[in-house]
Amino acid sequence: MAGKIEPMRPAALARALFARRSGYEMLLAAFALALLLGVAVAACLGAVPIPLRNVAATLLGGHALTSDQNLILLNIRLPRILAAIMAGSALSVSGLLFQGLFRNPLADPYVIGSSGGAVLGAAVGIFLFPQLSIAGFSATAFLGVLGAICSISLVYALASVNGRTPVVALLLAGFAVSTMLSYCSYFLEIMDHDFGTGLRVLTSWLRGTMAQPTWPQIAVMACMVLVGMGASLPLTRKLNTLALGEEYAAHLGLHLQQTRIAVIVVGSLLTAVAVALGGLISFVGLIVPHMMRMILGPDHVRLLPATALAGGIFLLVADTAARTMIAPSELPVGVLTAFIGGPFFLYLLRQAKKEVFA
Amino acid sequence: MNSLLTFADVEFSYPHRRLFHALDAEIPADACIALVGPNGSGKTTLLRLAAGSLRPARGDVRLRGESIASLSQRAIARSIALVPQNVEVSFPFTVQQFIEQGRTPYLKLFGGLSPADRHAVEHAMALTDTHSLRSRVFNELSGGERQRVKIALGLAQQPALLLLDEPMQHLDIGRQLELIGLIKRLRRHGIAILASMHDLTLIEEAFSFVWMLAPGQELVIGSPHEVLRPELIGRVFDCPPQRGPMLLKPAANRSERIRV
Repeated sequence: MAGKIEPMRPAALARALFARRSGYEMLLAAFALALLLGVAVAACLGAVPIPLRNVAATLLGGHALTSDQNLILLNIRLPRILAAIMAGSALSVSGLLFQGLFRNPLADPYVIGSSGGAVLGAAVGIFLFPQLSIAGFSATAFLGVLGAICSISLVYALASVNGRTPVVALLLAGFAVSTMLSYCSYFLEIMDHDFGTGLRVLTSWLRGTMAQPTWPQIAVMACMVLVGMGASLPLTRKLNTLALGEEYAAHLGLHLQQTRIAVIVVGSLLTAVAVALGGLISFVGLIVPHMMRMILGPDHVRLLPATALAGGIFLLVADTAARTMIAPSELPVGVLTAFIGGPFFLYLLRQAKKEVFA
Repeated sequence: MNSLLTFADVEFSYPHRRLFHALDAEIPADACIALVGPNGSGKTTLLRLAAGSLRPARGDVRLRGESIASLSQRAIARSIALVPQNVEVSFPFTVQQFIEQGRTPYLKLFGGLSPADRHAVEHAMALTDTHSLRSRVFNELSGGERQRVKIALGLAQQPALLLLDEPMQHLDIGRQLELIGLIKRLRRHGIAILASMHDLTLIEEAFSFVWMLAPGQELVIGSPHEVLRPELIGRVFDCPPQRGPMLLKPAANRSERIRV
């Protein structure tokens, strides 16, 4: 060891850089800029290319496009772009929340079965109560949130031992619950007699295909995302305290039960939004918070905005790639994130090897 | 009378074990008390009762005359800080982020640390000499550093009473003496201390009182001289007095030996 100078690892360098307030704000600004740039580029790409300057001109109020291009941009591409951003953001933030709650960096809405719960809840809504609506919202959305809450509560109850969730217990409980849920959804599919839109929706959810929402749908989803993010804000500080362990956190005045319930409800709301927009998209809630933690450290308060922005960028890029790579047909974005996220998940699992195989 | 914390007729049991029958004791505002007793005699339980994390089955724990049961945990944590034996932090939080958690009982739902909060954190780091550790990762600290940082978190709560659970555990002799120095320093700052101690040799240096717990017996309270007598230690710890700990030599010699 003597005389050997350890070179600073890139992650450590980044942490030192972003530890300062100015560095952190620069990073957020850079993310915001990258997101805008991503929107502009994604709007150009597709089966019908639209030049960037025409996109910019249209968005700024001009009329630079033909009516076809206008239609594609406003009714197909922009809704899809916004859907990808919101789904990526929502998934990443719910991943962050669940990781803090489970005190485990492997908790991801998909892995621990909360996405599966949302799909099942929504499928129940589609197949069994298609006409029902509660306060203007369709029962589907409501049941999706409820399904996510139920499944994650179940996984939490199964996997936690004295307030900690060992990796193995978490993964096994999540695996069992999400497998049951997926097959319940298939069961519902068989029960469905008219083989209509419900089936198509369910199939695309199970594959993780980004939806093409209408503008009113986007408005509703945007409201839910904003509510979820806003509610996450006070929770992030509580998650920092929770990292000390439940007993210590309780001694410092944290209400454990309230915090757990709040995190589960908010995380499930965000998961359900993401599922409604893109179905089962795996590992995004794992990759994005982990990368942000690598460069910003573990403080959840600082991680929240960065994770929200980076999650939006990540899924926008992934979805744009998914729909252009093999144009004119397209890949479900869930397939792509599984390809990227699977190996990444295994890498993280290997990092946790000591705990897993001890 | 200037009692900070009072145990009044406290009874507490675990499902198969009765620990305290009718515990009566009080911690004066400037006391520095060592809590000793054999394994399983309820030292940690007593600290948890004092911190309000456990509630007595009967009787009352009172903070400045007010029953702890009537106070919120936030309010308790602003007056009493419990420094637990083992802390495992998920995620690589830095020492500074760790110590800042001591401000949790003061924070509002929204908004970050106020200047007063930051000042309390700085002061806690200054008292425990942990400034130089501030950007290290908590989980990577050595045993002695960890202990000081844990105490710093407790001090960031700006408590009137600091409860230390086995602070000397797993520390080498040098770090133990360092900690004794820290306890003396805290005494001078008017913070009352109740610390459970395994190593009886270090008590006389820093503590003004000893509480000795023994299963099924009354709590013995007195000065170190009064309590740490060979025959009493022999009886309570069930070890032959002649082979007991070395603290049984005259006090003058000992303090010379220990002073560094």
